[in-house]
Amino acid sequence: MPASAASNHPSRPEDLIGRLNSSHTSCEAKLKALRDLKNQIIGNRTKKLAFLKLAAAPSVVGILSSSAAAAAQGSGGDNREFHESVLIQSAAVIGSFACGLDAGVKAVLDAGAFPLLLSLISHLNEKVADACARSLKIIYQSKLAPKYDFLQKKSMEFVLSLLNSDNENVTGLGASIITHSCKTTMEQLTLSEAGVMKRLVGLLGGSLAQRDASLEALAAVIKDNPEVASSFIGPENGRELNVVTELLNDKYPRTRLLACMCLINVKNTSISYLQDRGIKNKLVLILLELLDDIGQVGDEAPFVLSNLITEKEDMQKLAFDANVVEKLCKHLQKVSFQAKCLQGIFIALADLCSKLECCRDRVINLTVINSVAGALAHDSAEVRAAACIFLKNVSRSVKNLSAGHFMNETVIVPLVRLLCDSCASVQIAALGAISNVVVDFAAYKPLFIQCGGVKGLVQLSKSMESSIRVNAVWALRNLAFLVNNRCKEEILLELSISTLASLISDPEASVQEQALALIRNLVDGTMNSIEYLFGEDGLLLHAVGRQLRNTSKPEVLIQGLYTLSNVASGNEHHKVAVMSQLCPQAGDNTETILVKFLQNSSRQLRTAAVWTIINLTLPSNPGASGRLTELRNMGVISRLKDMVNDPCLDVKLRTRMALGQLLMLGDAST
Amino acid sequence: MSLFSIVLRELAEIRAMASSKKLITRDEWEKKLSNVKVRKEDMNKLVMNFLVTEGYVEAAEKFRLESGTEPDIDLATITDRMAVKKAVQSGNVEDAIEKVNDLNPEILDTNPQLFFHLQQQRLIELIRNGKVEEALEFAQEELAPRGEENQSFLEELERTVALLAFEDVSNCPVGELLDISQRLKTASEVNAAILTSQSHEKDPKLPSLLKMLLWAQNQLDEKATYPRINDLATAMLEDPPV
Repeated sequence: MPASAASNHPSRPEDLIGRLNSSHTSCEAKLKALRDLKNQIIGNRTKKLAFLKLAAAPSVVGILSSSAAAAAQGSGGDNREFHESVLIQSAAVIGSFACGLDAGVKAVLDAGAFPLLLSLISHLNEKVADACARSLKIIYQSKLAPKYDFLQKKSMEFVLSLLNSDNENVTGLGASIITHSCKTTMEQLTLSEAGVMKRLVGLLGGSLAQRDASLEALAAVIKDNPEVASSFIGPENGRELNVVTELLNDKYPRTRLLACMCLINVKNTSISYLQDRGIKNKLVLILLELLDDIGQVGDEAPFVLSNLITEKEDMQKLAFDANVVEKLCKHLQKVSFQAKCLQGIFIALADLCSKLECCRDRVINLTVINSVAGALAHDSAEVRAAACIFLKNVSRSVKNLSAGHFMNETVIVPLVRLLCDSCASVQIAALGAISNVVVDFAAYKPLFIQCGGVKGLVQLSKSMESSIRVNAVWALRNLAFLVNNRCKEEILLELSISTLASLISDPEASVQEQALALIRNLVDGTMNSIEYLFGEDGLLLHAVGRQLRNTSKPEVLIQGLYTLSNVASGNEHHKVAVMSQLCPQAGDNTETILVKFLQNSSRQLRTAAVWTIINLTLPSNPGASGRLTELRNMGVISRLKDMVNDPCLDVKLRTRMALGQLLMLGDAST
Repeated sequence: MSLFSIVLRELAEIRAMASSKKLITRDEWEKKLSNVKVRKEDMNKLVMNFLVTEGYVEAAEKFRLESGTEPDIDLATITDRMAVKKAVQSGNVEDAIEKVNDLNPEILDTNPQLFFHLQQQRLIELIRNGKVEEALEFAQEELAPRGEENQSFLEELERTVALLAFEDVSNCPVGELLDISQRLKTASEVNAAILTSQSHEKDPKLPSLLKMLLWAQNQLDEKATYPRINDLATAMLEDPPV
């Protein structure tokens, strides 16, 4: 490129900013510079970033501020006209910086644009008010916009005044503020009681922009709030609902999408409306069609679809029957690099595969696994996390896992790499996927270990973040399920007995539970594996026993007791060790924990307790009758006899089995 | 849309009658037609909608005064819109962009495809005027970043820059980009975007109504013989050949 051409260019960013900032620039020249700036940045992300780097935002906000002051001083005539033109142009520049660019929103907010623009939306010159309201509305498209607290009377009055304005951009702003700020149930109720819903429905009859903004706000106020949803449908027997339902047929794709979103939020509150098959099918079909939109609507459609089908098997079936899986997979191949779109598709596919085996089969037959591998290495953290969640749900299928559909290098290697991701949500999602994937893949275990899988999991099991810790231990637990001793030793070596012992006493109950479950899987199997618990002076065994005596959480107790039950299935030495953990310590008068477990309301815990007794009193063992006496002295046997008619069948069966065994040992009192 | 539903009902009735073609005489047909009540105000609205959408601002103003039909849009905005359209049609794309931004800065900021097409048109005009260096610089500075954001833009950009590779552009594979029709295409895209931003339909209703009329006649031809409108310009009923 000829360098001379660039340097002679009249509107080089540096020169333009220089003119804006200089006190020597004439008024007219400044206004022209503002317009130039506006025309350069609109639609041009690169230019926006370049000008933001040159601190254009504070300059323009400064100009807005001084012009607002000058215009307010009421210098009449030409001068006023000039200042108002400056206000319009600088407001437009601020809006454009904020449009579609969070960095821009941050810059203009930091420069103090928000209160200035807000004070100008009631300006007498309609064009000034319009420009400022429009820019605020754009700022409110971003997550970074300031939130309003609707529980404060002042905020509520303010937002109502906006909604009641004649200016289209001002009402749009009001609706956007609601969409952005309304988060809690209380806020939803307060807005609804203040009559906001009625006003928003009224705006549905307005311009295109007003309609879309109102639909979005309605959706936000109704979301997950049955009370507001009922009052929305309310006394007029669904007139409001019909207005929204009509918009499903609107010509504009964005309006159709937002109408779907609004109705889905009503439907998901599980009040009796919108539950018939007709409307459900219609929502699916409209969203299916909107997936084809090439712009923003197409990017957002999968998210709305996910909202419709998540956790709802009947909706997932409808979507499956409408060939949504095929459509999503087809798009997956097309949109290779658009982050938002990829994320949405994976989330929707994950929802479809969360329950239905037919969806999982279909996805696998459509061979999207290569796209998954790409997504696992995508630049965007959201895409990486979404791909992991998708993998997790697809691999709930034992059939497909056994067939080894996922476990090849293309997926495992990038998945393991995500354990070191810089973003915690990605790490958690990856752990979720690994937990499912490692359950059953004997053939690929060496590969998983080779590419550092165990190392990565162990690293994360020491994380400060408890949600990461619990998921990491969970994955190790699943990895240790039905594996050979070599693999178990690999895990123990990497993890170390002392780390495992400290995980058993983790402050979080959920981590304790997974750590105990991991040990339960480790000691399950051969006699050799039981010995793991006795290493380092029985550090692990003592930790398990301590946890059993100290905690009251059934889910933790169940895993701990099953661990001891597994140990009690070992040799004489093992059984003695278990007895010593279960019996009251010397000088302790409290009843044995075993009796407490037998009386616990959790049937799984009762089952585990009976199993432990069975393993401790197997008649073929020499010490069995001695242990029986001990158990009887502790009141365990009389408690057991009370349980022959336990309401839980499993407990009842095991109890009878245990009592039968005691009879063989010569417990004459039966 | 009420006209359309009437037509459909008629069609259904006729379909229900006989399998052989029915003959409808001019008298019967005219009687049927006069039974259909179309409100004058509705007709006026259709006309106004056409004038406004197509941008005939003076005619719209006259028609408003004569018929008392209020346009559903501020007539002043039509003038602005037409100025934008005209600027693109005459190759002053930069001017057009500035005018759109004055009208509503959100339009080009939220419509990447339209923005790209306008910039592409600017590039085409530079090439047309033989400003090769400027064209190259513009393509690299303004258009290349858009191509990085969107694959289909990149392809269009490559096609456009290809114009520079040919000595005789009028005779090259991408020569149609220099055609006046390319300007018209871009102009109508801007026009539509401005209309949409003003919550106005981007196409007038009248032409689609006429299309519907032709479709309905074609459907009817299979069932009946009747006085037909063959020339839309005169809308004369022509007797069927006996």
